[in-house]
Amino acid sequence: MRVLLFATCLVDTFYPDTGEATVRLLRHFGVETAFPKRQTCCGKPADSAGYPEQVKKAARHFLSTFEGTDPIVIPSGSCASMVKNHYPELFKDDPDMIRKAQGVADRTFELTQFLVHRLQADKAGLKGSGKVTYHSSCQLMRELGVRDEPIMLLKSLAGAEFVPLPNSTQCCGFGGVFMGKLPEVSMALADEKAEAIIGTGAHVVTGCDHGCLMNIADAMKRRGSSIEVKHIAQVLAEGV
Amino acid sequence: MSRSTTAIPFRVNTARAVCDASLRQAMDYSTRTFSAKRAEGTAQVPLEEWRERASAIRMQVLDNLADYVDRFSANATRAGAVVHRAKDAQIARDTVAAILKDRGIKMVVKAKSMVTEEIHLNKRLEEIGIEPVETDLGEYIVQIAGETPSHILAPAIHKSRKDIGRLFADKLGIEYTDDPEVLTKVARRVLREKFLAAKAGITGANFAIADTGSLVIFTNEGNGRMVTTLPRLHVAVLSVEKVIPSLADLSTFVRLLPRSASGQILSSYLSVITGTRKQGETTGAREIHIVLVDNGRSEIVKGEFREILKCIRCSACMNVCPVYKVIGGHAYGCTYPGPMGIVLTAVLEGMERAHPLQDATTFCGACVEVCPVKVPLSKLLRRLRERRAEQRLTPLVERLAMFGFGTVTQSPALFGLGQRMSWSVWPLLKDFSRSKLFVRLPRPARKTFKRSMS
Amino acid sequence: MTSDAVIQRFMEMAVKAAAKAVRVNSAARLNEALPSIIQLGDKAGPRIFCPRSTEKEKAVIIPEDLFTTDYFDADVCIEEVSGAIAETGSIICTSHGGKAVQAGLLPSHHVAIVPQDRIFETLDDYFESCREAPPTNITLETGPSRTADIELTLTVGVHGPERLSIIVF
Repeated sequence: MRVLLFATCLVDTFYPDTGEATVRLLRHFGVETAFPKRQTCCGKPADSAGYPEQVKKAARHFLSTFEGTDPIVIPSGSCASMVKNHYPELFKDDPDMIRKAQGVADRTFELTQFLVHRLQADKAGLKGSGKVTYHSSCQLMRELGVRDEPIMLLKSLAGAEFVPLPNSTQCCGFGGVFMGKLPEVSMALADEKAEAIIGTGAHVVTGCDHGCLMNIADAMKRRGSSIEVKHIAQVLAEGV
Repeated sequence: MSRSTTAIPFRVNTARAVCDASLRQAMDYSTRTFSAKRAEGTAQVPLEEWRERASAIRMQVLDNLADYVDRFSANATRAGAVVHRAKDAQIARDTVAAILKDRGIKMVVKAKSMVTEEIHLNKRLEEIGIEPVETDLGEYIVQIAGETPSHILAPAIHKSRKDIGRLFADKLGIEYTDDPEVLTKVARRVLREKFLAAKAGITGANFAIADTGSLVIFTNEGNGRMVTTLPRLHVAVLSVEKVIPSLADLSTFVRLLPRSASGQILSSYLSVITGTRKQGETTGAREIHIVLVDNGRSEIVKGEFREILKCIRCSACMNVCPVYKVIGGHAYGCTYPGPMGIVLTAVLEGMERAHPLQDATTFCGACVEVCPVKVPLSKLLRRLRERRAEQRLTPLVERLAMFGFGTVTQSPALFGLGQRMSWSVWPLLKDFSRSKLFVRLPRPARKTFKRSMS
Repeated sequence: MTSDAVIQRFMEMAVKAAAKAVRVNSAARLNEALPSIIQLGDKAGPRIFCPRSTEKEKAVIIPEDLFTTDYFDADVCIEEVSGAIAETGSIICTSHGGKAVQAGLLPSHHVAIVPQDRIFETLDDYFESCREAPPTNITLETGPSRTADIELTLTVGVHGPERLSIIVF
């Protein structure tokens, strides 16, 4: 099987290790990863800021870059939701583009969705270590409906202990442009999240969105916490 | 109607609220409790089926709002009420003021009503020498504190029991106590006298039934019943979109409203009032005036934000909102806070004033998940941000940056250049930018993932 | 005729809403049950209001020195109500037939006699039954008066009754 990887601009720019972990992980399950070189950003920042004309530019570029028939895998809930849910909506007045957007949307998977539903990775006996807790990112959960998949994967790790995060479904305060618009509120929410994470006694906190994880990592740093903040691709790839 | 065009100083309000430890504690506890109770109260019921039905009924009303309002008015009139149509807030205030003044009323008891807050009724009444007495305990607390509600259901949610104890000691001359039971009994005693003395009562309505002209009022305390059964004159002030077609439709909302609000199966009291006291009856006001407040709604219902008028004011969206939870209701600086409030304020008060509130969403979607009538809040919030940008209410630098962003996303070469540059300029941004943002973001990787894949 | 299951359901739901509920099958049983419901021993001479207009109300025995005709002045109101709803555990009070709905509101203890053949299974059943011509005032009463306006601490009896007792008869 071959998939097209959309790394997301955050992974591409800030977290190349997560991109590499994703490739390694997929390879472990016999999946060949193609990386379309022309990829940029899905347009999410302009979408939540309210600039649909700018989003359309990003979306058109994405749709032409990811043409084809292979599944598209994205290691981010909010970017995957952007492609799956927002693109078709964005072009609602343009039947040709809707068709194109819907075609791409149907081929798009968030990473853990793909791992569980296509590759049964939760039954593969991956290895892990230490106590791991998990923050459910909002759009992954509420727009894509991915609630259990990451937890199934983490629970399957032999040698690791999954500890649930209290109030896990409360937003961490990232919110894309929100972080810049209302920084005090964003930090207050991230602080609450960090306190909850520290309270679990976990060694690692993970999640499926680097936006949220970045915000959480910052709050952890302010606390001088030694808990590692890692994308789920990294946590899983360590066990292959 | 005179609209203020001064933007709400939201950013300042939020920064201040975040630092208020006592507020944070009160908000954290109360929103957590409300959300947990709601979750518990909706766990074992066919919630989705009810939401679908409620949403469909609300849309049916909005699609024919003028007709339903006419039908309600005709039937309420037939049942003995006098119906007034108020095009805007000022006409609504003046109408109520005139009804009371003409009858020589000096003091009026009020059950909680958000629309009377929207039209700033109390202030108007005080100006003409009529004392409005709020009788919902929470509303009474904020009234004697000289504040406004910070939550549409639990107006004093931002206050601790100690705050309330001090307030009562100060304003009512009782000995300080922070025991909620004792404080409640004090309010019962003070307000009982008011109920018995009042010649007029003012209420809102949770729903209005088109087929029968009935007003539907939910309360837990019993103050709604007092206000509507003791004084001879009852003035009900409600916004036009509260209409639902028939009593048969009411059960769906009875099931959803209290559960969504507080997890209760039903509020202690649900009153359905159809007109004035008839011959041979011993209950009911002898004179009922219904003031139907439009205040822009006939226009809103034709526009792209019409779905906000489905809202039944349960408060579930604010109880689960992470932003509301941190800043509380007052920071919004308007009548209706939280996710529904951001949308409603924009259409009621105009974008010039309301646009800063539109920052108050992370698009986490928690509100969409709990809304009992399926108001697509995330969609409406996103659309508001689009209008805000279109109307150039966002900073020029943001508009330029977004244009630049759109352009760069189309060009892999520019995108790559931007990535490389960001690595280089990061230390500068971090040290010299006034924005806290750059301190919070990590430095970009020296070698992007794309280059490592080459 | 209301089925036992519906009556049972109603009583369970009423108790869940913090009301007390008993079921009696005769006037004699009702009068036997009353003293413990009203807790006559509790307070010296509670003043009891009862409209004494329906058959069931007339069957209630109240010591004359405790009886009052003024509900503004009463500590207890004993009255037969219009019916009940099993789904929510609510009693239905209406202005029908000249009833004063406020009589059950002002005294601190509301004792409601619910005619057992007037218990509706669901809210729909009830509203459907009166949708054409509702009485001037319908009040569904579900448990005692309550507030949680101070730190969400539940306190009963803020403006209405502190206690609601239901006798299904």
